[in-house]
Amino acid sequence: MFKEFAKGLSITLKHLLPGHSTTVEYPKQRLEIAPRFRGLHRLVPAQDREKCVACYLCPTVCPAKCITVESEENEKGEKYPRVYEIDLLRCIFCGYCVEACPVEAIEMTSAYELANFKRGDFMYDKARLLKS
Amino acid sequence: MVNLTIDGKQITTAKTSTIYEAAKENGIYIPVLCYAKKLLPYGACRICLVEVEQMKGRLIPSCTTPVTEGMVVTTTSDEINKVRKTVLEFLLVNHVVDCPVCDKGGECDLQDLTYEYEVVTNRFQGEKFDLPTDEVNPLIERNMNRCVLCGKCVRVCDEVVGYGSYSFINRGFETKIATAFDRGLNCEFCGQCVSMCPVGAILPRPFKFKARPWQLKDVDTVCGYCGNGCTVTLGVKDNQVQTIRFNEDTGVNHGNLCVRGRFGYSYVNDATRLTKPLIRKGGELREASWDEALVTIAEKFKAAGKDLGIISGARLTNEELLLLKRISSALGTHHLDHSGGECYQGLTAGLNETMGISASTGTFPQVEKCNAILAIRSDFYETHPVFGMVINQAIRLNDAQLSVIADKRGKLSKLPNARTLMHKPGCEINMINALCQVIIAEGLAKTDDLQGLAELTKALADYTPETVAKMVGADAEAIKKTARELAGAKNAAIVVAYGLPYTAHSKEIAIAASNLALLTGIAGREGSGLYLCGEKANSQGAIDLQITPGPAGLGAQQMLNSAAEGRLPVLYLVGEDPVVTYPDQGLVKKALEKSFLVVQDLFLTDSAKYADVVLPAASFTEKDGTFTNAERRIQRLRAGIKSPGEAKSDFVVFQSLLNKLQKTAPAAPAAAFGELTGEVAGYAGIVYEQIGPQGEVWGGETLAPLKKVLIPVAGNEPLQAEYQLLVGSALYHSGSVSTRSKGPMSVCPEPYIELGRDDAVTLNVKTGDMIQLKAAGVTIQSKAKVDNRLPKGVIFAPYHFAGLGLNRIYTGQSVIAVEPSKL
Ligand code: SF4
Ligand code: SF4
Ligand code: SF4
Ligand code: SF4
Ligand code: SF4
Ligand code: FES
Repeated sequence: MFKEFAKGLSITLKHLLPGHSTTVEYPKQRLEIAPRFRGLHRLVPAQDREKCVACYLCPTVCPAKCITVESEENEKGEKYPRVYEIDLLRCIFCGYCVEACPVEAIEMTSAYELANFKRGDFMYDKARLLKS
Repeated sequence: MVNLTIDGKQITTAKTSTIYEAAKENGIYIPVLCYAKKLLPYGACRICLVEVEQMKGRLIPSCTTPVTEGMVVTTTSDEINKVRKTVLEFLLVNHVVDCPVCDKGGECDLQDLTYEYEVVTNRFQGEKFDLPTDEVNPLIERNMNRCVLCGKCVRVCDEVVGYGSYSFINRGFETKIATAFDRGLNCEFCGQCVSMCPVGAILPRPFKFKARPWQLKDVDTVCGYCGNGCTVTLGVKDNQVQTIRFNEDTGVNHGNLCVRGRFGYSYVNDATRLTKPLIRKGGELREASWDEALVTIAEKFKAAGKDLGIISGARLTNEELLLLKRISSALGTHHLDHSGGECYQGLTAGLNETMGISASTGTFPQVEKCNAILAIRSDFYETHPVFGMVINQAIRLNDAQLSVIADKRGKLSKLPNARTLMHKPGCEINMINALCQVIIAEGLAKTDDLQGLAELTKALADYTPETVAKMVGADAEAIKKTARELAGAKNAAIVVAYGLPYTAHSKEIAIAASNLALLTGIAGREGSGLYLCGEKANSQGAIDLQITPGPAGLGAQQMLNSAAEGRLPVLYLVGEDPVVTYPDQGLVKKALEKSFLVVQDLFLTDSAKYADVVLPAASFTEKDGTFTNAERRIQRLRAGIKSPGEAKSDFVVFQSLLNKLQKTAPAAPAAAFGELTGEVAGYAGIVYEQIGPQGEVWGGETLAPLKKVLIPVAGNEPLQAEYQLLVGSALYHSGSVSTRSKGPMSVCPEPYIELGRDDAVTLNVKTGDMIQLKAAGVTIQSKAKVDNRLPKGVIFAPYHFAGLGLNRIYTGQSVIAVEPSKL
């Protein structure tokens, strides 16, 4: 019985030795992010505007109902999102919006450090999403 | 009846059905693209192919194939699906597929079918269409790159509207839908093509990029403009009416609307709507609380008592009118009226004297089956466009003969089979008398149980077609033909419109028309009818509820007279803008100035500017209740949006007023309707909650006359003046509220004075030049519009625009002598 006990303990001790830990020292040290990680959204810019054509598919599919789109006609007669806003406090990062988008105008980046001080700071409007 | 089997189901159906209709009746689904219930079968798209046992070897389009006895039909099989999928693949070869930016996305038949048949790849390759689009038109956007050539737009504009804007041009792959010479649209803008297009090729421009169809809440209600009473479905989002949706399942208009109904909704969300009560303090109208306003009004009303004059609009619901009546009786006043020029006299006095009723005798669906139709006044299409479309359908589907008694040509004169009986302005009665004379003289009259035939025959001796023709410049032969047709037709209809711009002789015209209806047996006969159609959405309701002067009461015009002389201290205007729309502006202004004036309206109208208290009211999209249309159909309104600010519906305002007068009021429109059915003859037995999508016609499909008395009426002498002005309605407007709506204003933005070609040449005027009309020392000025529908010497002006000041020279005459000159 003692033998088994020592064996178990030795495994634990082995893990305590330097170089055997799986915990990384965040924030000094960071893990590599999987390519399909779903972090902060990004609106993809096109030549002189956003790629998004305000088709309303992402707000429709969004299960958390956190996307607000308001479409309008620009000077060229094109459809564009006058308002595009995501409420990150509500977003569940499911990625349905990305999947629904017919023009690949929205992506999810690897950014996950999204903590902030004020509620308002979690509202990502079009300008912010284009830069993220 | 025919028996057949569809998908193993035994079906019995009418001999005239197609396979598609038989299947639909029995809940069997067959996809369609070019089929539409209200259009003739066409068979353009081939998506509805089915298999028929007796016609093996090829697939049969179900929407064009009539049923035959013993037919065995299969609607789905692998082979059929494969063919349908191929049809879709063909359609998608050149289709641009820009669904993300296409406003049809979400309710597009092509999109739905593509999804249903899982067309994810295309075996065929081809160039995508790259045709120019029309996005400049303010009401109708056309993008032929999305067209599937179903021909519905072409067909509806021809078969239903009778305008014929579109046709197919070019051949083969180049085929497309275009207007004459492929120019921009310049039509009635009724938007029927918009509602019919199964894809995003024809779309409502004002709705462009506003919302997706699935975001809209559909609210079924009734159009608030004219007495036709079309049902409309509001598309609501963010407390705004975003668009009018296509819905052919409610009402009797089969989803047909006119430009006002389809594009004239923007005034309800207008920023200039009144949002707070206003009280005049120190000479200026200032915002006040409801309570203050109501207390002030109640005091004034009580003080005035029987000397209060109430003039109501005819766009209030039946329930509101009931409460208004309660208010008038609570105060003991008999001065209650609607529609300024007593234009409704035709119904209340004319029809009552001859037939003992005060409503149209038939319903719209019956008109579609008529063989002969007589329209009195050419403006009928302009005032009641969708009824005009019903007449057009009778012509197309039933080969009906239309005659129009007209002082100018209009849309009706252009319909096929139309015979225009032109006459000098103001002489409609002479024409109707002549028709009666022919019928009696030729022994065509159905004289059973008619009273007064001898007197009428005698009085009509002066109205032989020849005499009348000579006197009013008509064609005697045409009169005779029309008379014979009306007398001989199995089903016939006589239609007359009444409204503010036609106040003269309305009673006499109605009597003359009833004489004709009685002599021909039209009145009260199943399938035929005499139609007197009010101008406003609830004109008929106002008559049914007797919003007319009591025994000792004054009519609207007399009230204004009296107030102008300082004998009526308090006036209450509900939803009327007499300064703009009533005859004799000078008198109206004087009356409004002299009295303590309370105005209840949506906007600070020209009349409201004279008010001492202004109450903000609610539009038809903000309230529940019922309207009764020109065929006696009671239909329900449903609130779709909330009123802006503190505006309240007339119902709520009247409730509060009744409370201030220590009277009780029904709690809600449904309760008010319950009380109303006990008071209004004909409405008994109708239950508010049970009024279905098709409404409820009081008095039955055919209203039988209570008596049949012929009354001779004298015609009029034509006016002897070189230039004569007719006042009337323009197609794009109804009353004055449409001039606050972007849709109608984008196609008919300003007042105009219309001249015929000959007069334009004589006066050296071109369209767009300023001209001036002088009558009785007063002048009005406006841009000229030159057209070819007016006879020489006849000038026309629509009455809707405040800017023209037409009622400075129009004081209720049927025709006005004017002196035109170029400015
Ligand atoms: S789905 Fe794409 S194009 Fe459509 S609104 Fe969302 S981001 Fe824009
Ligand atoms: S018409 Fe239909 S299929 Fe074509 S782009 Fe528009 S929504 Fe898509
Ligand atoms: S709006 Fe009406 S009149 Fe104009 S093209 Fe369309 S259907 Fe024809
Ligand atoms: S424009 Fe629309 S309604 Fe007209 S043919 Fe093309 S698809 Fe059909
Ligand atoms: S204005 Fe009259 S005809 Fe036009 S849609 Fe409304 S009710 Fe129908
Ligand atoms: S629906 Fe039958 S051919 Fe188009």
